[in-house]
Amino acid sequence: MKALKSLLDRIALRVNINLRELEFDVVPIARHLVPLKQMTKFYAFYGITPNHPLSLEFRHSSLAGSYFLGRCRTNHSILYKTDIRGDELQIKGDTFTFGGHSITLSEDEMIDVQDSFLVKTLVHSYSHDPESRERFFITNTLSCHYANIHGSPIDGSFLGPFATVDLTTMYDCAIGAYSYIQAGEIGHFQAEPGTVWARSRGDFNFVYKHPVERLKTYIHFVPGKAPSGVFMDFLEARKKDFERVFDVVNLQKPKGIPANASLDRYAVIKPKMHIAENVLVAQRAYLENSWLGKGANAQENCYILNSRLEGYNVTAHGAKIIDADLGRRVFVGFNSFLRGRPDCRLAIGSGSIVMPHTIIDIDQPMHIPEDHFVWGMITSAADLETNSMPLADFARIDGRLYRGNLLFEGSGEAFVTGFQKRIEHILLDNGALFDGKRYKGHAQRNQNISVNTIQPYPEGRLKGLYPTIIIQP
Amino acid sequence: MTDFKIREIMVPLSEYATVREGATLLEAVLALEKAQEEFEHYQYRHRAILVLNRAGRVVGKLSQLDVLRALEPEDASNAELKQLMRFGFSPEFIRGFRKRKRLDGVPLQNLCTKAAGLKVEAFMQTPSEGEYVEVDASLDMAIHQLVVGNHLSLLVTEGEAIVGILRLTDVFAAVFHLMKECQLT
Repeated sequence: MKALKSLLDRIALRVNINLRELEFDVVPIARHLVPLKQMTKFYAFYGITPNHPLSLEFRHSSLAGSYFLGRCRTNHSILYKTDIRGDELQIKGDTFTFGGHSITLSEDEMIDVQDSFLVKTLVHSYSHDPESRERFFITNTLSCHYANIHGSPIDGSFLGPFATVDLTTMYDCAIGAYSYIQAGEIGHFQAEPGTVWARSRGDFNFVYKHPVERLKTYIHFVPGKAPSGVFMDFLEARKKDFERVFDVVNLQKPKGIPANASLDRYAVIKPKMHIAENVLVAQRAYLENSWLGKGANAQENCYILNSRLEGYNVTAHGAKIIDADLGRRVFVGFNSFLRGRPDCRLAIGSGSIVMPHTIIDIDQPMHIPEDHFVWGMITSAADLETNSMPLADFARIDGRLYRGNLLFEGSGEAFVTGFQKRIEHILLDNGALFDGKRYKGHAQRNQNISVNTIQPYPEGRLKGLYPTIIIQP
Repeated sequence: MTDFKIREIMVPLSEYATVREGATLLEAVLALEKAQEEFEHYQYRHRAILVLNRAGRVVGKLSQLDVLRALEPEDASNAELKQLMRFGFSPEFIRGFRKRKRLDGVPLQNLCTKAAGLKVEAFMQTPSEGEYVEVDASLDMAIHQLVVGNHLSLLVTEGEAIVGILRLTDVFAAVFHLMKECQLT
């Protein structure tokens, strides 16, 4: 295992070089994130479909438990239980607009992971960097448990556990645990844990800071130790359910699933579930005793328990919904944690938007009216009063809003309409609007995916590393 | 043409406001007042206090701005302000935020009472390499150091010892004098 250890040290030092200006040291973090012996325990796997270009290339990498779809290259990297989901990558001939000009992609886009260590990280979408549309790069980067890298090329950066970087090109940044960044392009920036930042230059700037001490109850992370708190406890308690899904080669498909819905074979489906038409359930999603109405989706690392989603709901990567009732077209952002209790449920009215990285954890019944915008940390009615607003009122902001831990500047209308347009895009991409002929999306295209497995060296100096593997059509 | 020497235009250390390490900000301000009263024939007021260690060596300089800095509430909201700048909020937005925090904050009188008892070490600036000038150095060298380093004064050394303070205001007065001489010739 010498080669793997040496690779880990090398990656950590490379990240440190990039973060020297911030004086951020990832070495003690990298060494204790995952015991290296875990790297030989799990196979890696990749999907083949007629709907997505295939090109996989793995060199001097460890890929334990990781999943690959589409076009991806890993080089001198360690990926642990990480999903590289390349089903939204752009292809040769696609065009994008920048500065009023339409530019055509000269080749199929590829996710390129180099000199990086990704732990239980989800990589999805396509590069939104106009300077690098054919190459969605992740280089010299360390990302921790349940981080999301969504359409965001990254170089020389650190992502704490449950951090999300969304549609942002990032250079030499350290993003704290449970921080959400959607800011276009940033460099040499350090975000404290629990920072929620959404910015569209010239339009709006939204910054919310989770209260530090209260956040520690949910996610606490210090170098040299594994992440801890409610989030980790919740996931650990359901870890065993995934073991069966990954160990068994041929799983019995649940009955009563409509032909136009898609349940990934690496999702956990526990009784009793209702799955309606055009539903999309991605890999590593966990469903139990819940109702998913037409066009609802549960993206990667989502957990939906004892809940009812009426339809056309977007439950973004890593969101958890427990003991809750959600109306139609409720959007729940990345890594949000919504927890009612069996005897005091959480109800969210139709058309509401739950900002990414929102925590709602209640011990009294709570009802959020329809068409509301919700953000931040909410554990009481008083918190809800501070951290929510009718969408129409938010859209009327033109200037500044200082409210609790939220700071907002710019056009509320641009913020709300931007969000709503994005939700419609997600529903369209996911196939929620499929009418039998038009608007095919992931729910229809991802139904028949063949999965192959690959394994590392079991012994010797290269133990845990995979040989060079090139997979092409 | 007058040939100004640093020794002639500097303020000797013995005439400058000084306090020992461990002194409070109030003691520093009183020392400044006292120095000013004793040398009130000066046209320009002293603007800083030197902090000396037990051996009498200068270890720090406390400017008026440093004293005012002690009144700034060094709490979470101040740190927040610094962060806001990094997030790219506009100056107007930051002013609004500062105003809100000020309105919610502690009255100035209370801040002054609290600041008076704070130790000078927490606010003094340790002189950098470019803040020392030899007593025999030329005036243009001193001007260069003041301009490049953006300093309000330089510590004048003679061998190992600090013997005086060369203030920007005195250098300016000398330069002004020279300019007038040039005009006349």
